[in-house]
Amino acid sequence: MRAGVAPRPLVRGPALTRAALVLGAGGALLLAALVVGIGLGSVSIAPDDVLRVLGHRLLGIGAPSGVSDAVETIVIDLRLPRVLGAMVVGAGLACAGTVFQAILRNPMADPYIIGTAAGASLGATIGIVLPLIVPALAIGAGSAWLGLGVVQLLAFGGGVGTVLIVIAIARSGGRLPSVTLLLTGYAVSSLLAAGVALLMFASGRALAAIFSWLMGSLAAVSWIDLAIAAPVVLGVFVALFARWRSLNLLLLGDGPAAHLGLDVGREKLRLTMLATLATSAAVAISGTIGFVGLVVPHLLRLAVGPDHRLLLPASVLLGAALLVMADLGARLAGGIPVGVVTAVVGAPFFLWLLRRSRRVSAPNSA
Amino acid sequence: MTPHRLRALLLLFLVGLLAACTATPSASTDPSTRIAATSAASPSGAAAYPLTLTDDAGRELTLEAEPRRIVSLAPSNTEIACALDACDRIVGVTDFDDYPAQVVEVDKVVTMAQVDVEAVVAAEPDLVLAAGNELTPTAVIDQLADLGLPVLVLYPESLEEVTADIALVGAALGRDDAAAALVDDMETRVAAVESAVADLERPRTFYEVSVFEGTIYTAGEGSFLASLIETAGGAPVIGDALSTSIELEDLVAADPELILLGDATYDETITPESVAERPGWETMTAVATDRVVVVTEDVVITRPGPRIVDGLEALARAIHPDAFAE
Repeated sequence: MRAGVAPRPLVRGPALTRAALVLGAGGALLLAALVVGIGLGSVSIAPDDVLRVLGHRLLGIGAPSGVSDAVETIVIDLRLPRVLGAMVVGAGLACAGTVFQAILRNPMADPYIIGTAAGASLGATIGIVLPLIVPALAIGAGSAWLGLGVVQLLAFGGGVGTVLIVIAIARSGGRLPSVTLLLTGYAVSSLLAAGVALLMFASGRALAAIFSWLMGSLAAVSWIDLAIAAPVVLGVFVALFARWRSLNLLLLGDGPAAHLGLDVGREKLRLTMLATLATSAAVAISGTIGFVGLVVPHLLRLAVGPDHRLLLPASVLLGAALLVMADLGARLAGGIPVGVVTAVVGAPFFLWLLRRSRRVSAPNSA
Repeated sequence: MTPHRLRALLLLFLVGLLAACTATPSASTDPSTRIAATSAASPSGAAAYPLTLTDDAGRELTLEAEPRRIVSLAPSNTEIACALDACDRIVGVTDFDDYPAQVVEVDKVVTMAQVDVEAVVAAEPDLVLAAGNELTPTAVIDQLADLGLPVLVLYPESLEEVTADIALVGAALGRDDAAAALVDDMETRVAAVESAVADLERPRTFYEVSVFEGTIYTAGEGSFLASLIETAGGAPVIGDALSTSIELEDLVAADPELILLGDATYDETITPESVAERPGWETMTAVATDRVVVVTEDVVITRPGPRIVDGLEALARAIHPDAFAE
């Protein structure tokens, strides 16, 4: 485990400067996204009013005078949780995407690939449709346990539960072969997707709600959602960052990683579960937002290389910033699905980077 | 998400939009939970605030004073408020709102079926009229209520419930008398239709909401539309309670004697001739006996507001043209 195989030691001078530059730029980008995201929206509010509300409510400075209750509500209860929610979701998905691309050594890997999205979707869909079929469940369905909705809880449980099942099927003799994991995830996902399709067919009016969940939306993120999801994503990031050596070793392939002393089966299991926790927490508050978890790690691997000491934090910063900006775009465009914006903005940029770098995007060859 | 799955979802979504446009109620709330008369309003009309009401979702809300700024999240709600002479109090509507004409000028807080919560809050409403059964998503209703806005959910599933909702909005707005008069007028007109069709034969009536990619949408089992057709003197051919669709072979087996083309309201290529050319349809009695009728009043037939009686009368005229001959 303590084999010195870090491809690019960061501890030396120039590399450290580079890391500081990358992370500094990422941090600045995120800060800029935060400011713009809170400042703009479907209702236009003067920047000094936004600052006055934020200063008064968050820092206790200044007086609330001159700002109407509606403006205060929009900034504090609608935009702030929404922007922070986008940060948490973007960070969680980018973080999970980085990990799945490393352990599966597959360029198509995204946070949803082994069944998280299908499981969460089925959970959420059940949560949306069930009260319509069994009216007794409708009362209190909106505000359930800990102020979290039934839909969020079922989505989170569905995501984690599905991955547990996939792992149980794919595991053999303490090993967790990537190809088996991928194929099992694909098969289980297909089965669950059939369940979602069936429920959608029978959902009547709730179809729009299901569809908007599947496309992903940050419109309904509340402070309670954040209080639950943010610590999960942060905790997972810290735990994953602490395992950067394992992630770097796994890029070499299961065989070489084992030869270098890594308990490959167990480590993959741990990493998979951590990434699944982050994904499920993100998806539970936002629905399945596509593209961020696939593209951000790729993009950064092309830009800063495959060392997870830099890749992981950089992905988190860029994922958070990207989703805040994408959500702002979605809001300004009249509430279109945020996944549409991430794809429209991200895909051309990604293609340009791919062509420019002339490198294959497989993580192990970068 | 793979392009293939995305395409499938998009198709399903479009189908859903079409189905949603029909306002066919597809799930039922327990009638006993509706409109519990907890209103503290005096029956004489001058409402006493604070006023506590129970809406169609079983939620309680308290109005501190007579609402002056109303946001309506569904066209039917807008029509109710306007019929109670409160049109000038409406400060937010949907992009679907088209009646009465003056509401077209009001700020839009719902676009493309998405509630812009920021815009709702910015309108500073003291009453939000939402719609039930996910037409206004439950998550949005919860969010608005959590922000301290008084939200009244309206979800009528029958003529009686439309009039009950009109009375409920009347109570909320302090317009009990206007509501009572409107309800009275509506009930008189409904009774007139009922007595006109009482002794007539009830033709098996298929109301076409839409046909999309081979899937046929009609009045769902237990839906408002089905009960409306019944009141108008027809025997509705019904589809699945939730999806409101019917298989072609079930439709052929049900053998409608009368086909009403509600979707012709929006698409003039849908005609009795085009229906006769659809494979499998020619065997139905309605097609063979030339009883396929274009209906151009789908908007009022499927919008559960005060004009629902116009819709009922249009249906009755289409089903029993002789009984209503001028």
